[in-house]
Amino acid sequence: MTLFTKPDCRLCDQLKRRFDLKGMEVDIEVLDTGDAGALAHLAWHGLVETARKTLPILVLDDSATVDDFADIESLLISRAEQRGLKYNDSVAPAVSCETGVCAIN
Amino acid sequence: MGVVMPLQKAMEKSFKQVTRDDSTDLALFVRTSEEDIVGWKRQRIVDALLRETFIDRDTAERISIDVEKTVQTSNLKTVTGPLIRELVNARLLELGLEEARRMHTRLGVPLYDVDHLLVQHNKENANVPHGPEATNLTLAEGIKKEYALLHVFTTDVADAHLSGDLHLHDLGFIDRPYCSGQSLEYVKKFGLNLPNSLALAKPAKHADVLLAHMVKFAAALQSHFAGAIGWDAVNLFFAPYLEEMSDREVKQLAQMLIYEFSQQAVARGGQAIFSDINVYWEVPKHFVDVPAIGPGGEYTGKTYGEYEKDAQRFAWALFEVYKEGDGAGRPFFFPKPLVHITEKFFKTEGHMDFLHHICEVASLKGNTYFVFDRGDTAKISECCRLSFKLDASDLEDAKEPWRMRYSALQNVTINLPRLAYKAKGDDTKLFTLLTERIKLAAKGHEQKKKFIEKLMGLGKGGPLAMLAMDLDGNSYLRLERCSYLMGMVGLNELVKVHTGEELHDSEESLKFGLKVIAHMNIVCNKMAEQLGMKFVLEQTPAESTAYRFAKLDMAHHPEETARVIQGDMESGEIYYTNSTLFNVGAKMNPIARVEKEGLLHPLIEAGSITHVWLGEANPDKKALADFVIKTFRHTNNDQIAFSPEFTCCLDCGKTGRGITETCRYCGSAKIDGITRITGYFTKISSWNKGKLGELHDRYRNEERFVRK
Repeated sequence: MTLFTKPDCRLCDQLKRRFDLKGMEVDIEVLDTGDAGALAHLAWHGLVETARKTLPILVLDDSATVDDFADIESLLISRAEQRGLKYNDSVAPAVSCETGVCAIN
Repeated sequence: MGVVMPLQKAMEKSFKQVTRDDSTDLALFVRTSEEDIVGWKRQRIVDALLRETFIDRDTAERISIDVEKTVQTSNLKTVTGPLIRELVNARLLELGLEEARRMHTRLGVPLYDVDHLLVQHNKENANVPHGPEATNLTLAEGIKKEYALLHVFTTDVADAHLSGDLHLHDLGFIDRPYCSGQSLEYVKKFGLNLPNSLALAKPAKHADVLLAHMVKFAAALQSHFAGAIGWDAVNLFFAPYLEEMSDREVKQLAQMLIYEFSQQAVARGGQAIFSDINVYWEVPKHFVDVPAIGPGGEYTGKTYGEYEKDAQRFAWALFEVYKEGDGAGRPFFFPKPLVHITEKFFKTEGHMDFLHHICEVASLKGNTYFVFDRGDTAKISECCRLSFKLDASDLEDAKEPWRMRYSALQNVTINLPRLAYKAKGDDTKLFTLLTERIKLAAKGHEQKKKFIEKLMGLGKGGPLAMLAMDLDGNSYLRLERCSYLMGMVGLNELVKVHTGEELHDSEESLKFGLKVIAHMNIVCNKMAEQLGMKFVLEQTPAESTAYRFAKLDMAHHPEETARVIQGDMESGEIYYTNSTLFNVGAKMNPIARVEKEGLLHPLIEAGSITHVWLGEANPDKKALADFVIKTFRHTNNDQIAFSPEFTCCLDCGKTGRGITETCRYCGSAKIDGITRITGYFTKISSWNKGKLGELHDRYRNEERFVRK
């Protein structure tokens, strides 16, 4: 499972604070940092245009992709629960990007 | 003071010498470049040196005396201006004044070369025919190219071009931008009002007059841009003129449009105007509520959304004409029709019939380009694959569509395989070298920008008066909106050198190719931010560059190049794979090629294409429609084109399917082939050796598509 994010993305940040992504074996790819590898990985999954509109994006182990934030959250909750890992309920829920930066430049 | 005295003495001595030499009565006549024979005047050498270089008068005098002595002692029968200049330049070099020599140099062409040019076909651009105008073009291009490399670009940029590290496109057109995309609304609103025209035409009142204005404007534009002249939403913008016309009349208009563009072999070098028409079945979202301009340049009181049916009638008629082909049944080479496939296309009534119609044309003649605008993307496409994506400010401009004028100022292509030769498998070195090349290309772009700004600064009295015309309050060329193209050649060979596999061979090799293009994308964006210029990646068509780089690398890196070069080394028909394309000979399922090549396309923002070579195959229109829909729905591919091949007989005039040795109708061996070279159709006899090598290698998908 891979989560595509970027540094100043509020929704990405919310997921990182809420879940133990490393413990859940979710790889994090950080875009917009000059990392060609991350951008190439995004392109490999055919997600460049999607990421220009919205982030975060979750790529599942079967290569299916999810860009709806609520769906990403529920998938991560299921994964955390399957693995018996705790996740943070206290993070204020945000379902949309208020600053408009939840997308790659 | 002790130092000054000898200097003064030396100057006095020099001055006396000069005075004495001035009185020389050398009985010699000089043939000047002003077409005159004048008496010898040494002072002319001094004047030229002082005017053209920064050297001091004494040195200039000394050189002129030396040259005069040489001329005197050589016992020459004829002295020409160029010969004197050569002698002066040789003396400048002897004195170590290299910069002065550079400034004083003469641009020109050897007699031997001109002799050859006048009789032999120059095949650098397959769209240029062979004739006196073409020779003029080649000669002028040669001089402007030298000028550009000496005077517009700094030595490091010029040397990078000359050595084949990168390619500065269209150096022979250094005083023009690269290409232009625009709206017919400009002509509809302002008429034909060109700065150097002898007559002004008011806005057209009839469709055929509008067409005449469009063609003439395109011809004028072609002489101010190096590349393609593209027109946005042509069928839609003609629509307000078509309301009262019958289907037959609309067909006639469509026929006139295509013939006018394809037969007008009057643009520079006697070539046809490299023209593109963007066609929509639906009314694009950004034009739906825009007030329509009709006859006389007046608003019709309707919006473009209300002209859908007339726009569709025209689109249909255009493709009927393409389907028929020219008088001999051959495909039209220009204007290239680019049909935009969008979400709205599939929601617009009659779309499947139209899709089948244009797919039939694609199968029969190959003309149709399928441009995929997914989601909210909107763009103007042209050239061999170039696209101008419309951003928020462009969509604002769409409310007054005559403002929609886009240009790429220059195209610089990077020789990717050479980077891999130098990196020797070291990733860090490879990406460092790539970054350096992009920075150098950006420097070249800055220099061209500065030069064009200088010419544009001369305004309506300058050489780019037409681009400076400001009928809507802004200059026609909106310099601040121009983009700067960064191209690439030979990603496939770079990957092969670096990983041992070609792009299509494995997931790993394709992933590495993606990383290279992602790196280019990132560095371009950083440079754009740093320099305030819009650098964008484009798949270089590389009609001659793929061959040029291959030849240069064979000369400078023979061992490494020989391992990965494409084509046939024995015949010299060698080439690198175009831009980011996969090996053209790879026997891939066409949909897999479209899908895999398409993964690279979103990183290349100024346009990409995948070619599906058809050879003799003549697929069913429904099969192609299905292919197009799958491409739109399930891939990231930006644009596709299907390319059939033809043989036309120079004896009986008939055209047959496929490339054959003899005419299948009369058996004559006097034949010529026709197919797509890069982004356009042309006669194979005009192709360069590299492209001939590629043609030989192309996998034609003949067994994949059932012949009808």
